[in-house]
Amino acid sequence: MKLRKNMSYLLSLFIAVAAAFILGGVIMALSGHDPIEGYTLMFQGAFGTQRASANTLAKASTLCLCGLATAIAAHAGIFNVGGEGQLYLGAMASAWVGARLTGTSPWIAVPLCLLAAMLAGGIYAWIPGMLKVKMKVNEVITTIMLNSAAIYFCSFLTNGPLKTAEKGVSAGTDAIDPAFMFSRIVRRSSLTESIFLAAIIALVVWYLMKKSTTGFQMKLTGENERFAKYSGIKSSKLALWSMVASGAICGLVGMFEIFGLHGRFIESVSSEFYFDGMLVAMIMRYNPVGIILMSLFFGAMEIGGAAMELNASIPSSLIVLIQSIIIFFMAAEQGITAAFQARRARKKAAKALQKGDAA
Amino acid sequence: MASETIVSFRNVSMQFPGVLANHDVSLDIHKGEVFALVGENGAGKSTLMNILYGMNTPTSGEVTIKGQKMTHFSPSQAIERGVGMVHQHFMLVPSFTVAQNIVLGREPKHRGLFYDFHKAKAITDSLVEEYGLTVDPAAKVADISVGLQQRVEILKTLHRGADILILDEPTAVLTPQETDELFSVIRRIVKEKQMTIIIITHKLYEVMAISDRVGVMRGGKLVSVENTADVNERILASMMVGRDVLLGQLDRNDPIVTDNEAAIEISDLHVTDNRGLPAVRGLSLTVHRGEILGIAGIEGNGQSELIEAVAGMRSFTKGNVVINGKSIAGMNAGQVRALGVAHVPEDRLSTGVSAPADVTDNLIVGKEKLPRFSLFKTHMKKRAVRQYAREISEKFDIRGAGIDTAVGSLSGGNMQKVVVAREFSFETPVLIISQPTRGVDIGAMEAIHQLIMDKRNAGCAILLVSADLDELYRLSDRLVTVYEGRITGEFTPDTIAKTEISYYMTGGRKEADA
Repeated sequence: MKLRKNMSYLLSLFIAVAAAFILGGVIMALSGHDPIEGYTLMFQGAFGTQRASANTLAKASTLCLCGLATAIAAHAGIFNVGGEGQLYLGAMASAWVGARLTGTSPWIAVPLCLLAAMLAGGIYAWIPGMLKVKMKVNEVITTIMLNSAAIYFCSFLTNGPLKTAEKGVSAGTDAIDPAFMFSRIVRRSSLTESIFLAAIIALVVWYLMKKSTTGFQMKLTGENERFAKYSGIKSSKLALWSMVASGAICGLVGMFEIFGLHGRFIESVSSEFYFDGMLVAMIMRYNPVGIILMSLFFGAMEIGGAAMELNASIPSSLIVLIQSIIIFFMAAEQGITAAFQARRARKKAAKALQKGDAA
Repeated sequence: MASETIVSFRNVSMQFPGVLANHDVSLDIHKGEVFALVGENGAGKSTLMNILYGMNTPTSGEVTIKGQKMTHFSPSQAIERGVGMVHQHFMLVPSFTVAQNIVLGREPKHRGLFYDFHKAKAITDSLVEEYGLTVDPAAKVADISVGLQQRVEILKTLHRGADILILDEPTAVLTPQETDELFSVIRRIVKEKQMTIIIITHKLYEVMAISDRVGVMRGGKLVSVENTADVNERILASMMVGRDVLLGQLDRNDPIVTDNEAAIEISDLHVTDNRGLPAVRGLSLTVHRGEILGIAGIEGNGQSELIEAVAGMRSFTKGNVVINGKSIAGMNAGQVRALGVAHVPEDRLSTGVSAPADVTDNLIVGKEKLPRFSLFKTHMKKRAVRQYAREISEKFDIRGAGIDTAVGSLSGGNMQKVVVAREFSFETPVLIISQPTRGVDIGAMEAIHQLIMDKRNAGCAILLVSADLDELYRLSDRLVTVYEGRITGEFTPDTIAKTEISYYMTGGRKEADA
């Protein structure tokens, strides 16, 4: 029964994706491009070369971590919209610690930087979490507001007290020791060793959500908090900790960006990565395995879309369009399937009755 | 009584996904009668009435209202034809006054533009006078009792011109006194205004008290339509379930624990409600092992808050509760449970289950960290969990669903069985049980009563709160009555009549206590 439900959801998803691509193709054709060529270029852009595949994978890992961060909080009933701010603060904290520790052994420095990123993201998520469980303040509103606070605070630090004295750097903090940087797995791609850490995090989140007793208690807290309390589950504590975990993961995403690519904190460390990840999580209904797979798909579309724009001058906003259509369909999914099921049942019943009358 | 037919169903069937809710129902309702529709949960009563009210479109068959064939009609068309429905859960705006609620959707306008409050009040006053349903038009709905809110609902439908009134389990939320008042109102509007009333209910004595005719539904079919005068409760009950269950004997044995040890001791307890107002005011009682102590009272007299306080879900402001020798002051629900307490809460949907979760999850909650179900309290053994869920759902006869079904889609009776199965299988020496059979069909009620009695016989101390006096009389060893958060009397079921006990439930005090 459970499996059937999942299968029917996957079928809907497949239909949505196919429909979105067909519509995207129609739009390409209408604007005077060959859709086959466009999609071929897109596919090649995402997987055509080793470097392209590596970039896709790197993009997917960011989306995936952000999606899992959304999912782990949502599992316990908290909607963390503040991942972007937590990501910024995690990036800033790790960049600052990294710059301070220049010259020490990477074996000491990198773990400390990881810790700093997790602490910064986690503590920043703890604030709205605490407000939610203690004072029932709506976390959606607080986290959205805290996003702006964090992003502007980082901007202030980058342009003010922490601005680097280095010449030729417009807005950034001091550079971290190159020895601390994650090395690239594929040359000139953005895929770095951080992908292994991302994989470990994904595994831990999946286990926690789907296999552990804690995940079970979190799930019940998310479904019916009063019931969880009544059953003796420490629901407030679980909700708060899931929020902190979500923030810590976001902090790490920021750290991976800094230690993989930029080498110092820069203001444009994320272009709404968290919100993209959040969308992936919502499309997949917070299912961890689904999020991992969907991240790959969305990552490929984004990397492929950029290549398509470059090579065939088809605007990459087409990708946004396709993604939007998928989201639109999936949002309507429940209503559409219910309507279909009702129709089928009605027909079946009418048939059964006719048979009964004839007999 | 040969009177004209006002509503007629012809071969009506209704198919929901996976459930044939109505199967080939044909029924005539006469003008000016009180027609009772009875049946167990899920028998299809509400579905049939929702069809009449235009909320469900039948899969096949036809409905005729006042001689006009209705196909694919909406509630607003049904209202136009004079059909009104009062749902089990009221649809009122709590912050509006009675008058505002009654005219809602058809507000009188001043110069066609402004809300005319005076006119609204005047309309309400004239309705009140015409039908003799006394309510204060200026009172806020949030401030009036449930019984009065129901009156407002009835007045609302009357204002819309209804002369066919459907009442969906109207007495489920009412006290005995309010029920009596409702019935006298029904009798009056039928007699004076020639209204037609269709009343959906579980309670057979209400059928006997109020209806002219009664239709019995079972498994989606209308199995019988009788003149009420020709049947009795026993006959109706056996029609409903297809077997003779009413008034079955419970096995009440001597409990295996005979020492007079106290398991729950409540002394001078004070608890406030959600608004911070005192709900329990200095209540003391003791429950011993091997006994069921029943608390009788009209709802809203502190029972809910008392139970929540004893279960660790609500803090108390003064006094103490001692369970198995330990004070529970400052404890949460989990800590109280650890003292050996299980709790069947009064509202199963909001507190007793997680509706989106499946039966398995709902049965295992609270046991997930036992070695049988987890490694190092961390890794859930899914296979053992499912095996256990299968065992328990078989043992407690949870029907109509596999263990993977979402609990929210079960009928009320089976949902309650899930709650009882989970709580009773903790094997705790103390049980706190509130409204164990509310909205549950007779078959499930019988089963749950026997389970409670078995627990008592096994030596458990049981604190039982129920709005159903029959249930309290059937199960309790001792009864206390509460009024406004205080105890007004203590009895044994065989020393006081049901008619007499309501005196204490409404504030009368036993001489000895005064």
